[in-house]
Amino acid sequence: MRRVGVFVCHCGINIAQTVDVKALADYAGTLPNVVIAKEYKYMCSDVGATLIKDSIKKHKLDAVVIASCSPRMHEHTFRRVAKDGGVNPYRVEIANIREQCSWAHTTKEAATEKAKALVRSAVGKARLLEPLEPSMIPVVPKALVIGGGIAGIQAALDLANDGFDITLVERQPSIGGHMAQLDKTFPTLDCSSCILTPKMMEVANHEKIELLTYAELQNVEGSIGNYTVTIKKKPRYVTLDKCTGCGDCAAACRLKDRVVSEFNEGLGKRSAAYMPFPQAVPLKYCIDDSTCLFLTKGKCGDEPACQKACAQGAIDFTQKEELVERKVGAIIVTTGYQLLDPGRLYEYGYTTSPDVITSLELERLISSSGPTKGEILRPSNQQKPKSVTFILCAGSRDETQCTWCCRIGCMSALKQVYLLKEKLGEDVEINLCYQDIRAYGKGYEEFYRKVRGLPTNLFRGRPSEVRDMKEYLKIDIFDTTTSKLFEIKTDLVVLIPALMPQADATAFARLLRLTLSGDGFFLEAHPKLRPVDTFVNGIFIAGCCQGPKDIQDTVSQASAAASRAATILTKKELEIDPLIAMVDEEACTGCGICVEVCPYEARTLNERTRIAEVNEALCAGCGACIAACPSNASIHKNFTKKQLLNMVDDMM
Amino acid sequence: MTIVDLTSMGEPQTEQQREINARLVSLQNEISSYCYQCAKCTSGCEAHKLLELEPHKIVALLKRGLINELVNSDIIWTCMTCMKCRERCPQRVAPIEILFALKNMAVASGKQIPGKYTAMLQSILSLGLIQDIQQITTRMNTTVKRDELGLPPLSKPTDAQKFQAAVMKIATEKV
Repeated sequence: MRRVGVFVCHCGINIAQTVDVKALADYAGTLPNVVIAKEYKYMCSDVGATLIKDSIKKHKLDAVVIASCSPRMHEHTFRRVAKDGGVNPYRVEIANIREQCSWAHTTKEAATEKAKALVRSAVGKARLLEPLEPSMIPVVPKALVIGGGIAGIQAALDLANDGFDITLVERQPSIGGHMAQLDKTFPTLDCSSCILTPKMMEVANHEKIELLTYAELQNVEGSIGNYTVTIKKKPRYVTLDKCTGCGDCAAACRLKDRVVSEFNEGLGKRSAAYMPFPQAVPLKYCIDDSTCLFLTKGKCGDEPACQKACAQGAIDFTQKEELVERKVGAIIVTTGYQLLDPGRLYEYGYTTSPDVITSLELERLISSSGPTKGEILRPSNQQKPKSVTFILCAGSRDETQCTWCCRIGCMSALKQVYLLKEKLGEDVEINLCYQDIRAYGKGYEEFYRKVRGLPTNLFRGRPSEVRDMKEYLKIDIFDTTTSKLFEIKTDLVVLIPALMPQADATAFARLLRLTLSGDGFFLEAHPKLRPVDTFVNGIFIAGCCQGPKDIQDTVSQASAAASRAATILTKKELEIDPLIAMVDEEACTGCGICVEVCPYEARTLNERTRIAEVNEALCAGCGACIAACPSNASIHKNFTKKQLLNMVDDMM
Repeated sequence: MTIVDLTSMGEPQTEQQREINARLVSLQNEISSYCYQCAKCTSGCEAHKLLELEPHKIVALLKRGLINELVNSDIIWTCMTCMKCRERCPQRVAPIEILFALKNMAVASGKQIPGKYTAMLQSILSLGLIQDIQQITTRMNTTVKRDELGLPPLSKPTDAQKFQAAVMKIATEKV
């Protein structure tokens, strides 16, 4: 005979003001199997917990019903209290009389009646609850970090310094990401590569970090604590051990200065044998198989020029794509962002006018390692511009393009204004067309004030179009601060484009079973309380792949993701919640429908026995297989048909 | 409780505001409340330079509900219906559709239509076009006809009476 205790919580006045808690407790005491029913102001407090524990001992309870807030809130708390008191934690049932009763209703009598029904139903289930034990799985104390931008670098270094083995995968030939392309960072004007390069070197030299550049994630299997990942290493056609980074191959390449440089945002040229930028890590060359004459046409003179030039014999055209496998306990995704293609905003003339450029292109022009060695020159005639006009929110906060704010546009434009004044002199004309300046970070407003003090023309408005007049560019802008229409004649237009998810974000999310938010960025498990977790246990996200953010926020988030990953990696074994699906082997017909419906890939069909199986580590207890099973063989532990029907019977 | 425009002592006309917003929604545009006054519409407005139409201000007044002021103003008749504001609005608000609604309201309230518009309406009823096909003066100061420029002839309504009836039906239903 089951002995159930019922504990009614007032939740201050949250429950007590709409539900007669005293009457509810008295009523609960009369229900079958209930041997004790009590009410208290805060059941979740220490005093409340002691009350439950004492009652368990005194009345020899073997199941507990708590009438309180949503189980999302305190189920975990009360399971622990029950366990401490000596009751199996899975013999705890919560009757939600706050969200589903007191908060939703206004009349006390009716609400009390509903609360009674909810408690009656919970007691009905408590009578049938089975004791469950969590299963344990071992943890591989290693992590995979995908994406070698500043977020990936920070996360990898944090975990490696904690003593975990890290595999860092980057699809470009060098790590560094977008931050490596920047000249200076706002609001402190730190030189971007000066603060980034030491971290990149640390990654390269860290004994705990295995760096795989020019490589991509191919496949992921397993679950939290035990992932098996397959990584595709693209052929680099350069033997890493032999290459000294001298650059003889690039100098000898027959396509020298003829291939568009991605790192310089198309403003500079490189060879087919190349290193993206001088501080690249690893400091090794790479041969681009989409342009190299030998690789595309099969012929490069009598002998490939790079091969002839390389004194180390590092060039190896026989290299093939290679797959490597790693076992890791946690994965951190830091795959970053892409800029909106400004060609989509046809009215701003990006594709038709060479003097309309993006902020990232200007960044390469400002940078001393850029295609112009730091000189600001108009792409059309290589002359210094006398007037530069910035157009902010190019595609951001736009229902036809990207609906969100890019969060870095305002500050990066203000920073570039400051740098242009430094580089081109005080008398260069700067026009800045903005809608709102969002200078929300620490030290940002101060920086904005500093720029406001410079001789610049700030227009509050959005230009309708940019007209290429050959000699100059013409912009009409209605300034809402003066309510006047101005005509701007300018030499160079800088668009601040929206930040977008990577082009392959959807496919990548499918690979890792991640969820996307409406904007296409990866979705966090909770926007406030679990900002770097995902809905897949053991996979974390950081940086711009989660949503646009600046370097400060990216680095903080990367460290947060590393620390969340460490909470898994530091454990030898992980406890798996037993509230998951199981299979009644007698009833299973091996039809395989459960395998198809399972969104977590936790279901497999045993080929030999023709019986479906559940991977306990992957199962999230969603119940899809239970609903789908035509032969009632799928059972959700402690949510069995008998238990649920009993709840309904008791409630009616 | 309400707000008052101290310049004109005008109060918001929420009923008409709802009516215009409903029209925007039915045309799959966004309601005026979403306008954040970037003035991209006015920056590119063809009627602004000569006739001082400021579409973003029209939207702002609609947001506040000050509609009588707009209906009674001549400015709403200056729109050239080039559709640029609708094409380029980053919030999909479509000031041109608001202007159409305001013009309809003006007509419905019995307000005098500018003479040019009456002439255009007459021309549509008789010809099917807002004005008869005209000759063009080129940059070289010569006069040419449509067909001389290799342009196809314009189509006209075949049954003038049927056409007039249809136009009048639309006009009365819309206003």
